[in-house]
This record gives sequence, structure tokens and C-alpha cells, in this order.
Amino acid sequence: MRYQSQSVAYWYFAVAIVLFGLQIVFGLLSAAKYLGPDPLLDVLPFDVTKVIHTNLLIVWVLLGFMGATYWLVPEESRTELHSVKLAYVQLVLFTVTGVTAVIGYLFRYGTGNKLLEQPLPHKLAIVATMLIFLYNVGMTIRKAGRFTVTEGVLVLGLAASAVLYLPALFEFENYTISIFYRWWTIHLWVEGVWMMIMGSFLAYLLIRLSGVDREVMEKWLYVIVGLVFIAGILGTAHHYYWVGVPSYWLPIGGFFSALEPVALVGMAAYAYFALRRAGLSHPNKLALHWTIGSTVFALFGAGLLGLSHTWPAVNRWTHGTLVTAMHGHSAFYGAYAMIVLAMITYALPTMTRSPHEGESYLGYAAFWLQIAGMFGMTLSFATAGVAQVYLERIVGLGYLDTQLKIQVHFLMLILTASIFAIGVGLFIYDFFRRVPLTEVAADEAVELSASGEAQPAG
Amino acid sequence: MTTRQARMFAIASTAIAALVFLILTVHSHTRFPALTNAEAITPAVVAGKDVWHRYNCINCHTLFGEGAYYAPDLTKIAQLRGDAYLTAYMRDPGQFYDERVHRRLMPKQNLSDQEIADLIAFLSWASNVDTQGWPPRPILVATGLAAPGAAEQPGVTAVPTRPVSPEDDPIAAGENVFKNATPACLACHSTTPGVNLAGPSLAGIASRAEELIASGEYTGEAEDAAGYIRESIVAPSAHIIPGAMYSAGGMSFMPATYAESLSDEEIDQLVAYLMSFR
Repeated sequence: MRYQSQSVAYWYFAVAIVLFGLQIVFGLLSAAKYLGPDPLLDVLPFDVTKVIHTNLLIVWVLLGFMGATYWLVPEESRTELHSVKLAYVQLVLFTVTGVTAVIGYLFRYGTGNKLLEQPLPHKLAIVATMLIFLYNVGMTIRKAGRFTVTEGVLVLGLAASAVLYLPALFEFENYTISIFYRWWTIHLWVEGVWMMIMGSFLAYLLIRLSGVDREVMEKWLYVIVGLVFIAGILGTAHHYYWVGVPSYWLPIGGFFSALEPVALVGMAAYAYFALRRAGLSHPNKLALHWTIGSTVFALFGAGLLGLSHTWPAVNRWTHGTLVTAMHGHSAFYGAYAMIVLAMITYALPTMTRSPHEGESYLGYAAFWLQIAGMFGMTLSFATAGVAQVYLERIVGLGYLDTQLKIQVHFLMLILTASIFAIGVGLFIYDFFRRVPLTEVAADEAVELSASGEAQPAG
Repeated sequence: MTTRQARMFAIASTAIAALVFLILTVHSHTRFPALTNAEAITPAVVAGKDVWHRYNCINCHTLFGEGAYYAPDLTKIAQLRGDAYLTAYMRDPGQFYDERVHRRLMPKQNLSDQEIADLIAFLSWASNVDTQGWPPRPILVATGLAAPGAAEQPGVTAVPTRPVSPEDDPIAAGENVFKNATPACLACHSTTPGVNLAGPSLAGIASRAEELIASGEYTGEAEDAAGYIRESIVAPSAHIIPGAMYSAGGMSFMPATYAESLSDEEIDQLVAYLMSFR
């Protein structure tokens, strides 16, 4: 930790991973309901556990983005944050908004609009939080007068995320039109502006961890952003299949969705070549695992598994089945959960006092158990989904008859989800057994050079 | 490539993609009224959409294939099942499905009758939106029979059914008769569109019966669709659908024993059940 105000990031990360743990609890509950029968049917039915599961994901990933931004911006702009107090106000406001929304869902207080279930007062609070956040970050950069490409891409991504949340505030009488604009928020977040955020974290981590030349990394960051938007913006069309919009969205969706993996291949290649050039000299190898892992898992989950069912002729059969859950889980985890965990793992040794010396084997166990668990969950959803498509859509069995026949995949899902949950538990434990530092340490062990970049391989 | 060129590439590609997307969005708005039957969006449909949201339906079901994957897709449900059935179902789903059979069940939602009527209006509107031919074949909730011929496999003796009680809705009781009469109706008839076994599929039977009565080709004694279905059960040869598949010499191949083997109440229930397929 080079700047004292960076310590706010610790508290963002702390709240984020607690909510991550809670998200997994509700995920496991939902998975158990797939196996059924459900003893909690009248107390905590599936729709409630599921809406909490997805909303907690959004809340903790956004908290992770914010924390990571408060970590990154002082270092990139070489200054203290404009207002630490405002950062804490924002954290409390956002956490209270997220937690009360989740509690509301327990009592069916929500708008029932998929992924945008937050009631209007909560939506307005989210907008207010985002404005506080952007103001604080903007003022920090302005005061410093130093603005890197990495943080430029990050701040643009965050600002665009706030702007794209605005369509969620409107209601439409025509359900098809409300679907149309719902994806402006959700799709353009996850396959557009959040990719900018992921790309800039990736650039930051690779510059720090591998010590490659910043000029080169930032040039390729631009190329990746270009590739993301060429495919991502018109790729929104793959959410417009079969929902009552003009049929030209079908070929457009097919073509541009097929291009979406290009940016993800780009990111994975970006990380790989950065490491090849640098020859690994940074001591935080665990952060490197998470960084490279994120690009590979995102390529697999978001890129390839997305491509597996976005062609209209394929999607006609797979639309609305567990095949979508296969893609959703691996994509979100690979691209967004893992990049936030990478930022946390990178920052952790310098923002806390570790009770032990050397490498954290607990951290490696958390990494590999999560990877293995999520890979198994992805395969469980995939096998369940393919069987569902065949039995329900092609053979013509009823929905419920089909679900009975694919029970074995739900058993596999619960088993692999439990492995994943152990990995998450270890990550959380590993985080909280350290003591947060509030002062800038005089003898920064991780401080390798004056510029903050890793030393060339000796 | 220089950094400057890379930046230009990012800005230009984003701008072009965004421009094309906005133009198509504007054009789509000109087509929405026709594709979604916007003039059919009555206050009841809007109220039904609010019910759909208020009760968080989308976090179990899918509509247009969007939502959660824990419960059946409802895009075309209003075209497959009639209002009477949908109303009875939404009052108490437990009357029609058993958690011990299918391992999952929709919890009772305590909807008011007005809310149910609005929700059906909304689902009826949704079922007429132009979804470009999706789903490619009907998505059914439960076909009863696991697969044609499955009941003859060793070890598979009966179709799983939920136990019925006298308080049950007649449609629910009728479904039980359909599966357990001797011989069982579903041994020869599916309720899946287009799946004709020894007897014709009964999907859409209520609508087809109405059309038949109105067509003037009908030769039996019934006066309405329900009457026709009752007559087909107790006297299968009263009206013969032309063709060599299901009859010969003016005699239906269907057993004529149900007038004897089923009670009047059971026949009423069976008619109520079959009338729910429209």
C-alpha cells in the first residue's frame, strides 16, 4: 500500500466477499431445490432463493469493482483519494441498499423484472451511490492531473455502467419493449462496459505482475476495447431472439455473437504474451493464478460456451433451458468474479499484516477448489441442459417428466457446487485471518521498485 | 500500429456499432405494434403484467424463454389450456401436481380471482406475440406417459399420478380418471399435439369439438363441445371422423365399455379435464 487512502479498498473487499459467501449459500439452496422435494416450499421457495442468488452476485461484484478502483486510482494517479470519508459513506449506502433489497426479496418486495428486481427506491439509491463514486474518482484524478490509459478505460467503463442502468428506471406497458431495454442494462454491462472494467484491471495486474512495458500493454488494451464493442453492442441481438422483435435481429445476433470470443481470445493472448516477455518475477504468484485464470475461464465460459448456443438455428432448440445456466455460471465467474478475486489477492499482502510468512497454501487451495468446483458445475448444467433439450424439445416429453429424468445431473451439480463452496469458504477465511493495515508501512516488502512495477527477471 | 491508431480503432468501432444499433432500435419501434399486437394490450393485460411481476413469476418460469429454468415455459400456455383450467390451477397448484411424483411443486400464491383473470389476459396476449416460430414444438408441462410404449417396459407398471380426494377440482379428478380408467385413456391417446397413438391426440380437443359442431358435418346428438366429448366417451361410434385409422365399417375402434365402467361423476370429471385442452 503506497497511499494511505487505499486502505478503504480493504473494507469494500471485506463486504464484497462476505456477500459472495452469502450468494453461494443461496445458490446451494437453489440447487437442492432442483433435486427436491422442497421442505421449505412455503417458507423460502425457489423464486426467492434464486433472486437473492443473482442479486447478491451483482452487489458483490460491483462492490469489488468499486474497491478495486479505489485501490487502483491512487496508484495510477500517484495521489491520495479526494475524499476517504465520501468513499466510506458510499460503501455504507451501497451495502445498506443491497442488503435491504435482499431482505425485501424474502418478503416478495421487488419488481419481478429479471436481474433488475430492485424496487424503485433502491434503484435511485444505486444511482446516487454511483454518482458519489464517480465524483470521488473524478476529483481524485483531476487533483492529481495524472491520468493513465488504464484508469481512463476503467473510469469510462464505470461511468457507462451508471448510464446504462438508467433504462432500468423506466417501465413499459408492452412486455416485449421492456425486454428490449432490459438487455440494454444487463447485456451492455456484461458484454460491453464491464469488459472495459475487466480489461483495465487486467492491464493493471499484468503491468504490475509481469513488469511488461506500459506503452505496449495500453496500446493493446485499446484494441481489446475495440473488439469488445464491435461484437458486444450488436451482439445484444442474441437476447432479441424469439421475443417479438423484427426478424433481422436473428442473423445480426448470430454474426456478431460469433465475433464475441475474439475479444476474449485477445485478453487471454494478452495475458499469455505479457508473461512470456516478462518471465515472472513478482512474488505474488497467487494473484497471477487468479489473473491468468480469469482470462482462461472467461474465454471458456463467456466465449466458447456462449458461442455454443448463440447461433439462431441452435438457440431455437436450446433457448430457455439449463444450457443457458451452463453459460451464465461459467461466464460470470470467469470474467467478473475471478478478476475481482485477482485484484483482492494482489492487494491483500500489502493492505494487511499476514500472520504467516511466505506463500499461502490456503489461498492456492481456495483457487483450485473453486476452479474445479465451477468446472464441474458447468459440466453438470451442460449435461442436464443437453438432455433437457433432447427429451423436452425433440422427443416431446413434458417439462416435469424431463426434469425427473435428469435428476442425476442435479446430484452432480450439488456435489460440485459443494466443492466450489469449500473453495469460497477458504478464500473468505484466508482473507479475514489477516489484520488490515491503516498506515502506509515503512518497510513495504512488496514494494519492489520506485515505479511500483515488478523487477525484470534476474 | 501506434497507440494513437489503436485508440482510433477503439473509438471508431464503438461509434459505428452504436450508431447501427440505434438505427435498428428506432426501426424496431416502428414494427413493435404489429409484431406484438399492441392494440390488444388492454388494461387487463397491463394489470396481468403487473401480477406477473409482483409475484416474481419469472424467477421460476420462463416467458418467451426468458427467466429461470425451474418451472415450465409459459409463452404458449394460454393456447394449450383453457381459462377454466388455468384459473383452477392458479387457485391451488397442489390439486394438479404432486411433489412426491415430480419432486417439485408450485407453491400456492393466494392470488385473488381478479389477479388470476388479469394474469390469464396477459398470458393470452403473450401467446399471440410473433415469436418467429418459437418454440419449434410445443413445450408441455407433463405428458403423463414417459414415452410411447414406456408403460410396457418391465418394471414400469403405471404412470405416476397424484392421489385424489373428493374435494379436488373436477379437472384434477378428471386427469386421474384419464390415467387410471380401465383401459386407461392415455394408453391410446396422448395430450401432446401431433402425437397420434392407437387413437388420435387429444391436444386441442375442446377447440376441435367446437369447430366440428359448428361445421354442420357432425352427425351425432350433442349440442356443444362438452356434449360431444361426453358422447365420444360413452358412445364412440355416434360420430365417426372419416378415415381408415380409427374406425372401420362405421364402428370406432375405441372400446364402448366406458358408459358401464365409469360412474356419471367420473365421466363429468373426464369431460372437464378434456375440455381444458384448447
